Amino acid sequence: MDYFSGISDALRVTFVQMMILSIIAIGIFIVGMYINFKKWSMGSTGYGQAPSKSIWAFPKMLMYQMSQHAHVHNQSVLETIVLDILFQRRILRRSKIRWFMHITIFIGWMTLFAMSGAMFFVEMTHMIGERIGFAETLPWFMSPEVFRELLAVPNDVFSYILLIGVVIAIYRRLFVAKARESTIAYDSILIIGLAVITISGFIADGIRTGRFWGFGIDYAYAPPAALFHVVISLLFCIAYIPFSKYIHILAIPFTLLANKGGE
Amino acid sequence: MVKRQPSITTENFTAVQLMELDACSRCGECVNWCPTYDASGQNPGLAPRDKILRWAEFMKKSYGLRARLFGPKQIPLEELEQFKNDVYGCTTCGMCATVCESAINTVELWESMRANLVKSGIGPFGKQGMFLKLIGEYKNPYMADNKDRINWFPADIKVEEQAEVLYFGGCTAELRQRKLALATARVLNKLGIKFTMLGEDEICCGSALIRTGQYFINDTAKINAQKNVDNIKAKGAKIVLYACAGCYRASLIDWPRLTGKELPFKVVHVTEFLQDLIKKGEIKWEKSIDKKVTYHDPCHLGRHVGVFEPPRAVLEAIPGIQFIEMERIKENQRCCGAGGGVKAGIPDLALGVASTRVEDALATSADILSSACPFCKRNLSDGRDAIGAKELEVEDVIVLVAEAMGIDLSDTPAE
Ligand code: HEM
Ligand code: SF4
Ligand code: SF4
Repeated sequence: MDYFSGISDALRVTFVQMMILSIIAIGIFIVGMYINFKKWSMGSTGYGQAPSKSIWAFPKMLMYQMSQHAHVHNQSVLETIVLDILFQRRILRRSKIRWFMHITIFIGWMTLFAMSGAMFFVEMTHMIGERIGFAETLPWFMSPEVFRELLAVPNDVFSYILLIGVVIAIYRRLFVAKARESTIAYDSILIIGLAVITISGFIADGIRTGRFWGFGIDYAYAPPAALFHVVISLLFCIAYIPFSKYIHILAIPFTLLANKGGE
Repeated sequence: MVKRQPSITTENFTAVQLMELDACSRCGECVNWCPTYDASGQNPGLAPRDKILRWAEFMKKSYGLRARLFGPKQIPLEELEQFKNDVYGCTTCGMCATVCESAINTVELWESMRANLVKSGIGPFGKQGMFLKLIGEYKNPYMADNKDRINWFPADIKVEEQAEVLYFGGCTAELRQRKLALATARVLNKLGIKFTMLGEDEICCGSALIRTGQYFINDTAKINAQKNVDNIKAKGAKIVLYACAGCYRASLIDWPRLTGKELPFKVVHVTEFLQDLIKKGEIKWEKSIDKKVTYHDPCHLGRHVGVFEPPRAVLEAIPGIQFIEMERIKENQRCCGAGGGVKAGIPDLALGVASTRVEDALATSADILSSACPFCKRNLSDGRDAIGAKELEVEDVIVLVAEAMGIDLSDTPAE
């Protein structure tokens, strides 16, 4: 999986397109999260108290609950973050296979997300640097070409890790009777979307490099394929978070923190 | 144009609870473990996951993006009525919270949903609506004269006017399962522990009102909790003993929350108290109970507050008892089916859950199925009778302790 810029001469145009898209995606995300925060903050800031009118009710109640002594497990914030949020032991306790499925999705997605962000940052810095004239003074790895090369192998590795999780998730939803019967659009959209993103990434990269995932498609299709991948990634992985089951990426960690890792 | 009003309010939900509705990953673990879902013949409406999804959708229809732009979407009253029936088909056992991969505090959510529905005039469920009137009028949910709480104690029982230790008997043990209250009192007497009780000044702990979402009406639960706290303080008590899981949890967790203050005394379950005395070697056993005994963790004593070991330690200390565990115990225990207002509201469901639990006990070939809560005892006995397992004795740990201490309880009066 690679980034569109630098693939062809169309670079400059697409870079602007990408900027606009990113801003739109982030904008939609912010509006969506604002609506969610507002919705959550319609609750009270204490048991049995009247509903709040302030958007700060949610952060306030969260902080309050985190500061309270819990009767059953009273673990530290650090333990919650490391063991429950990052390591996801509550999934592991229930099912090893589902834990493996999710941890691969989680690690793959988070790392790719972080690397995309870093790449974006490098490109931005470099471009601004060229305009203002400090590009020369940047360290060697801050050059987009070099940075992209540095990321090439981890990109591949984490894409495959993500793919493994997505394949297990799809398999489970299709062939495990209990999971299949309880699957609703809310669930399937998330997995299908993720699958499309992962696979389109492989294909875009494959076309560019002419390797396996390119399926022999002409190199001329590399830019549009890459653009497609970037567009749906931005829209689906950022803009869609507040409006879909993706919200669990934020809501579950909040819940784990509020309930000190749960009962 | 006047915008339509949303069909639901956010009354009685905390901001974190509203967020929790969005935290369900729909993994389905709660559905695998829910005792009422199971006993109802897997009625999809009772599945915890489904209840979360439905309320999240109610929220979306009322306050989501589209609702903000074009006005809220109405939720038909029948849909809310159906939801009420489903959310009251829950014993608040907490199993769903224990297994929830997202760590959602589901029990609090169910109680908030109930309170919300009560406030909008849709809840509570059936006979549960009587609780408020009964507790207001009689100070107990059994329509009994509050004087009868302990005035039936046989003459040998010595209850002090003032003491450091107070035994909070609870409505069920004092008015219905009297053998349990008598056993507790005689055991304390025999151990030479001076204790006092509230007697006719005792008021229902509030569990029935809180669990069914009616605690806030006229502030009844709060006022009663405060009165109990004040009365306990006036008796000079520093330690309050409980032999009822429902009262224990209500006192430990709900009273401070309702009154907004820390309790001025220590809340101790009688098995914790006894475990301590056993460790110090202060209990003299006079009789051996040569039977196989298994133990059912009351939800409100075990999973809700984490008292798992003391009752087991007490049972294992009793001479002769061969202690065996059922398959689902401690955090993973299967509910007896009585709690959360289900016994009063949907007795058939309560019985169904109880029967399954009795079968768990039968599978161990135990002679006695013990518990540490009069409400569990009542429902498990009913479950045993329903499946005709006459050979199985259902008894409370404190009664077994009394027996092993050579205490006679044959003079227990009827209700
Ligand atoms: C902070 C962290 C996160 C936590 C605690 C978390 C937790 C969960 C849990 C408990 C499930 C249900 C798993 C099951 O069915 O047993 C789930 C499902 C899922 N999560 Fe996450 N998640 C997190 C972050 C993410 C991220 C970053 C992604 C990236 C896309 C993701 C993607 C998914 C997907 C696709 C599913 C659906 C699997 C399925 O039901 O078939 N999660 N998550
Ligand atoms: S608290 Fe118990 S009965 Fe209620 S939904 Fe959860 S598992 Fe089911
Ligand atoms: S266990 Fe928790 S996360 Fe899983 S379906 Fe039930 S409520 Fe949702």
